[in-house]
Amino acid sequence: MMNCEEFELRGLDVDRADGDPQEVQAAAKHAEVCTRCRALLESWREVKGDLRILRESTRLESAPARVEMRLKQELRTRREARVPRSTVAIAGWALAAAAVLVGAVSWGTSRRTRHQEVTRHEATVPSASAPISVFPEKDALATERESRVRGEPKKRSGRRESAIAKDDDTGKFTLLPGSWPAETEEAAVVRVRMQRGALGALGLPVNQELAGEWIQVDLLVGNDGFPQAVRLAR
Amino acid sequence: MKILDEKPEALLKRAVRGDEQAFLALYQKHQSALYRYALRMTGSPWAAEEVVQEVFLLVIREPQKFQSERGELGAFLYGVARNRVMKYLEKKPREASLDRMNEDGSAWNEPEDPLTPMMIAEKSERIEQVREAVLGLPAEFREAVVLCELEELSYEEAAQACGCPIGTIRSRLHRGRALLLAKLELLRDVPRRASAGAK
Repeated sequence: MMNCEEFELRGLDVDRADGDPQEVQAAAKHAEVCTRCRALLESWREVKGDLRILRESTRLESAPARVEMRLKQELRTRREARVPRSTVAIAGWALAAAAVLVGAVSWGTSRRTRHQEVTRHEATVPSASAPISVFPEKDALATERESRVRGEPKKRSGRRESAIAKDDDTGKFTLLPGSWPAETEEAAVVRVRMQRGALGALGLPVNQELAGEWIQVDLLVGNDGFPQAVRLAR
Repeated sequence: MKILDEKPEALLKRAVRGDEQAFLALYQKHQSALYRYALRMTGSPWAAEEVVQEVFLLVIREPQKFQSERGELGAFLYGVARNRVMKYLEKKPREASLDRMNEDGSAWNEPEDPLTPMMIAEKSERIEQVREAVLGLPAEFREAVVLCELEELSYEEAAQACGCPIGTIRSRLHRGRALLLAKLELLRDVPRRASAGAK
C-alpha cells in the first residue's frame, strides 16, 4: 500500500490509461483511507475535468490556412529550383561529353592531317626523297658545267640564282647559308611570292638588275619557323 | 493504398522529392497537434503559427535531420517544435512588458489577486482560468502538463518529444500538477486542499 508521499508522486495517475495497474490499485486503496490524499485526488479530478473541457474546446484548433499556403509555396519553389538544377547538370554532362567527342575527332583529324603532311613532305623534302644541295656553289658550278656540255648559253643571273633555277628543274632545294641538312627532317614546304631582291635577305646573292622581279619560291621552313632551304617554284 | 496509410518515412521521402500531396498528408496529420502544443506553451496564436511554419520548413529544407532509427516522425516534429517554443519563451521576458498590460495600459494583475476569481463563474471563464493557469506554469512543468494531460501523450511519447527520460517527465508532471492545482485554487478562491505538492 502507498503512503502519502508516494501518493503525491504517483497517485494522481489513477485515471491515466498508461498507468501501472498495481500502482493504480495501491493509490485507490490509499485514497480510501487517507482523507487528505482523497481530497487531493478529488481536487485533481476537478482540474482534470477542466483540462478535458479545455482540450475539447481547442481540439479543432489548427494552424491558419496561410501557413499551409506558405509551406506549399516553399515546396513548389524548391521543386522548381531543383528542376533547373538537374537540367543544368544534364546539360553540363552533355557539354562535357560533346567536348570529349570533339577533342577526340579533332585529335584524330590532326593525326591524319599530320600523317598526310608527313607523307607529302617525305615526297617533297629532299631529306626524304630528293637530296638537298649542301654545297650550292659546287652545284652551281656543276650546273654550269652541265650547261656547257649541253651547249646551253650561260645565264645572266648570278651563280646561285642559276643554281636555284636549276634546282627547280631537278626538284632540289638549295640550303640557305647557316642551315644544316638534319634540321630539315620535320620541315614544311611553304610556297611564297616575293621579289627576287628578297632572296638577298636569305643570304643568297641577287642580280640587282632583276631585284624587282616577282618570283615564286618554295621555302623549306624548319620546325623552328626559320627557312632552311629554297627552290624556285615550277 | 491511400496516401494516409503510407508510413510517415515514405511520405517524408516523397514530400522531400517535391510531392505536394505527400507533404500535405504529413502536414495535415501533425500540424494541429503541433499548433495546439505551441499555442498552449506560448499562449500566442502568432507564435504558435510561426512555430508550426518553422517546423515544416525544416522538414522541407533539412529532411536529413530526421532519422527514423532514433524515433517516430511525430516525436521528431514535437522535438523541433519544442526547441522553437523554448527559444520563443527565452525571448519572451524581453517582450512581455507590452503583452502583460491590460487594454487600458495598466499593469496586468497576477492571478493571486483574490478579487479577480470572484467574478469568474461561467464555464468559458473556467476554461480561460485553466488556460491561464497552464500558461502560468514554468516552461518545463507546463510542457509536461500540455503533453501528458492536454495532448494525452503517453509518458514514453512525451519523454521522446522532450528528449529526456520518462522519470524526468513524471517528475515534471507531478510538480506541474501540484502547481496547477494551487494556481486554480487561488483563482477560484477554494480551500487549499491540494497545496501539498506545490511547495
